[in-house]
Amino acid sequence: MIEFHPTDDSLARLAAGTLEAGPTIVVRTHVDGCERCRNAVGRLEAVGGALLNAIEPVAMQADAYALLEARLDRPAPATKAVAPARAVPANGPIELPAALEGLEIGRWRWLAPGVRRSRVTIPGAPDADLVMYRIGPNRRLPHHGHAGSEYTQVLSGSFFDETGHYRPGDLVEADGDVDHQPRVGPEGECICLAAVEGRMLPNGFFGRMMRPFV
Amino acid sequence: MTALSAPAMIAMMRPVATASRKVHHATFWSGAGPDRLRRLPGKRLVTGRDELAAPTAAELSHLVLRVARSDRQAFEQLFRHFAPRVKAYILRGGAEPGLAEEVAQETLLAVWRKASGFDPAKAGAATWIFTIARNLRIDRARRKGPPPTLGEDPSQQAEAPPPADEVIAAAERDDRVRRLVETLPAEQAEVLRLSFFAEEPQTEIAALLGIPLGTVKSRVRLAMARLRTALEDLER
Repeated sequence: MIEFHPTDDSLARLAAGTLEAGPTIVVRTHVDGCERCRNAVGRLEAVGGALLNAIEPVAMQADAYALLEARLDRPAPATKAVAPARAVPANGPIELPAALEGLEIGRWRWLAPGVRRSRVTIPGAPDADLVMYRIGPNRRLPHHGHAGSEYTQVLSGSFFDETGHYRPGDLVEADGDVDHQPRVGPEGECICLAAVEGRMLPNGFFGRMMRPFV
Repeated sequence: MTALSAPAMIAMMRPVATASRKVHHATFWSGAGPDRLRRLPGKRLVTGRDELAAPTAAELSHLVLRVARSDRQAFEQLFRHFAPRVKAYILRGGAEPGLAEEVAQETLLAVWRKASGFDPAKAGAATWIFTIARNLRIDRARRKGPPPTLGEDPSQQAEAPPPADEVIAAAERDDRVRRLVETLPAEQAEVLRLSFFAEEPQTEIAALLGIPLGTVKSRVRLAMARLRTALEDLER
């Protein structure tokens, strides 16, 4: 039973397409596995549709439709074959989230005792900060020292801090100012996907005061 | 919401042979209100302007389903309705007019290519087209490479026509949201649109509108609270 979810603010920005690249992948991973958030995003996208319908239209060029019609018969360009995401070794490989398909997943690199990190590259978003961690039992999670919000989705195992105990499917949104001390649980290795907002977006969509529904 | 009966909606969903097309249109449009739409001889539906007058969500869904069967007249009607709106949306995101025109074209081209993947039971046409435009907008902002797309899975194609009541429910939600958005107090609609469509943080919106930040926040909250309540009501 998933207990921790993205804030309404993050879901709204996801639906609007204004969430940064790294957090988008992390939140998408959560939404793919959470019906409640999927429904919320669906509702928010319906708001987008309504706003689109209500917007004051801006005329297209006079020959716009004719130009487009000429393209309808041409075949769609072949899409590049997407390399399948590698399985993540844990105690037996875990299934990589669908949200990571098409992304370049770096090799596991030693970061600290019991802490390994894989950098995930998003095409077209070189500044994005998206990583996967594999962290041994009882170890501390790396501290980002970040100014913006941090998004962490638990893929396997668990970790906890002063606010809660986070399990597979949970998404933890941590404010930049909150000084938390997350640590992996004793039962085994924890694998999680994490991203940090690169730039300060004060007040977000709802004003960042909306707490996630628990 | 609609005067259409379930059997009429189901009839609308089945692929039609050309010979029986008139019958299906008569069934469909007879529910839509004869004073709002005129049916001319031939296949095009026109009003005084070359565009459907305020089409309902059900009508728009129907058009996409026809486009999935390569119906170019349906596609042109979708283009007339949505291309200028997508262009406006992209412009509001800060794009140059040339780029906005291009993204609007790309969006409608994607509609043509992906129409068979449209699931009318999941969302109305405006919602679906919004997500296509949104993803293209993200893509263009990054200028290269395929974007992490969201929910655009063509394998969602329904094997059989979805149940009419599910189609109506999804279209009804779109209509309900649209009516709510249109009846929001103007100042709420304005900040909602700025928050949703532009990448403006609220501090910028406040500066733009010359109002306190707290006012921006409360207007967005009020607007979204109204929409959310109404949408959750629909789902019970």
